[in-house]
Amino acid sequence: MSKSLKELRPVYVVGIGLHRYQFLSDTTYVDLGLTAVRAALADANIEWPTVESAYVGRALLPMACGRPILRHLGATGIPIAHIENASASGSTAFRQACIEVASGTSDVSLALGVDKPMAIARAEGLTGIGNLADDAIAPFTHFALLADQYATQYGVRHEDIALVAVKNHRNGAKNPFAQHQKERTLDEILGGKKISGTFTSLQCTPVGEGAAAVIVASEDGIKRLGIAASRAVRVAASAGRSQKVNIDATRYDAVLTKETAEIAFRESGISPRALDIVELHDAFAVEEIEYVEAMGICGEGEAISRLKDGEFDIGGRCAVSPSGGLISMGHPIGPTGLGQIAEIARQLRGEAGSRQHAGARTGLAHMVGVGAVCYVHILQK
Amino acid sequence: MTAPDLLKPALYRAEGSDTDPDHPALLGGACECGHVFFPPQTYGCERCGRMSLATRALSGAGKLLASARVHLHGGKTRAAPFTIVSVRLDDGPIVRTLLAGDDAVHPGDRMVTMLVPVTNAEGAELLDLRFVPQR
Repeated sequence: MSKSLKELRPVYVVGIGLHRYQFLSDTTYVDLGLTAVRAALADANIEWPTVESAYVGRALLPMACGRPILRHLGATGIPIAHIENASASGSTAFRQACIEVASGTSDVSLALGVDKPMAIARAEGLTGIGNLADDAIAPFTHFALLADQYATQYGVRHEDIALVAVKNHRNGAKNPFAQHQKERTLDEILGGKKISGTFTSLQCTPVGEGAAAVIVASEDGIKRLGIAASRAVRVAASAGRSQKVNIDATRYDAVLTKETAEIAFRESGISPRALDIVELHDAFAVEEIEYVEAMGICGEGEAISRLKDGEFDIGGRCAVSPSGGLISMGHPIGPTGLGQIAEIARQLRGEAGSRQHAGARTGLAHMVGVGAVCYVHILQK
Repeated sequence: MTAPDLLKPALYRAEGSDTDPDHPALLGGACECGHVFFPPQTYGCERCGRMSLATRALSGAGKLLASARVHLHGGKTRAAPFTIVSVRLDDGPIVRTLLAGDDAVHPGDRMVTMLVPVTNAEGAELLDLRFVPQR
């Protein structure tokens, strides 16, 4: 009989660290990665030799980028595995580190996400199966089509969908690790460079680089290493799914989100309306609208009115993308899912400073990736 | 004078389908389990895994689900702006490709296929499939 993460021994986030997400620079991926890992070790107040395994999430960097980073911490000989899972690479690295600790194979494991902008080659284009015009349908057009579909179905204005970007840029302006750190008015967002459909550049995630590291530990590890249990955040659920054959074949991300989140809610015993914090894959503004509904945080067709009422603001009913999300904090690919975990841990510890959502006790991290795949984690304090 | 060759003859043909003889058919596939799909492939059925897949000519008519005017395009093979449409074919599958022309389209509109002249990388004149609103 298979078991969920919750049925194995408890796993806790004990250390988080980031290198700011930023536009392409001369910073090497080694510097990006080391900055994040050293920050996570300092946050946990442990030394590198206590870490027993490492999972490195990346989607753009070439083969085997992990050891060229980690050897500069002192080569301890631990197992290093690389995870490529498109946008969900970091989330998947986190899940594997959690499973390793939950199973008892390690007491302390590192998940590191690191990437730099590079030419993207997608395997789906190499299957030998033809396509009509996939070269003309970039991800922003895929989501622009879904935005048009949503706006038609629920009779909402495209300007209302752009309100997601207003909120997330406002949040990102308070996040020192965000790629964009500037508040934007709705007029500024709507008047920006046109990309596809009604999307302007500030409703789309920027291309960038960065790193995020999360250290997870068992209760044995926490006790043995003297880690502050008061700052440890429990991983209450971990769920991953991939796309099935859907009737609405283009809305697979929302369908997958619903299915994966339901597994995580069941595993954790936490209901969607009890969440305090949600970090989700808002690479394009309409995604936040679709996913909060798919997760059951609000009813179908209700997201715009809830957004306008401030329910998803920091200080609202459930803070959605308090980090700034992918739209403002950025989406360097490999790090993104781990940056979400870092933000949620910070919020649940009450250490998020000017963007703190008061009284946060539960948080959900969600990423989708091309394929399509979906990963959801729930953290609890 | 003979018509130019098709740019992607594995995906569509000039003749219509049984269900819509008036517009170029898309060449999809069908499985014994009832799953009808586009584009065609012979690796195995995405729904049930069976390998007994047959080609199926699909109607070149359907309903517009969504459209997007694309203002930014990185590829060198086509110049923005252009419009992408998402169409649910009367035979089931949803397909996405370019709109022919600049007519405004709205979700719910009836759409049909047509072949339009294009030039390939070698400079040869060929025909490619597009959608247009049904007149």
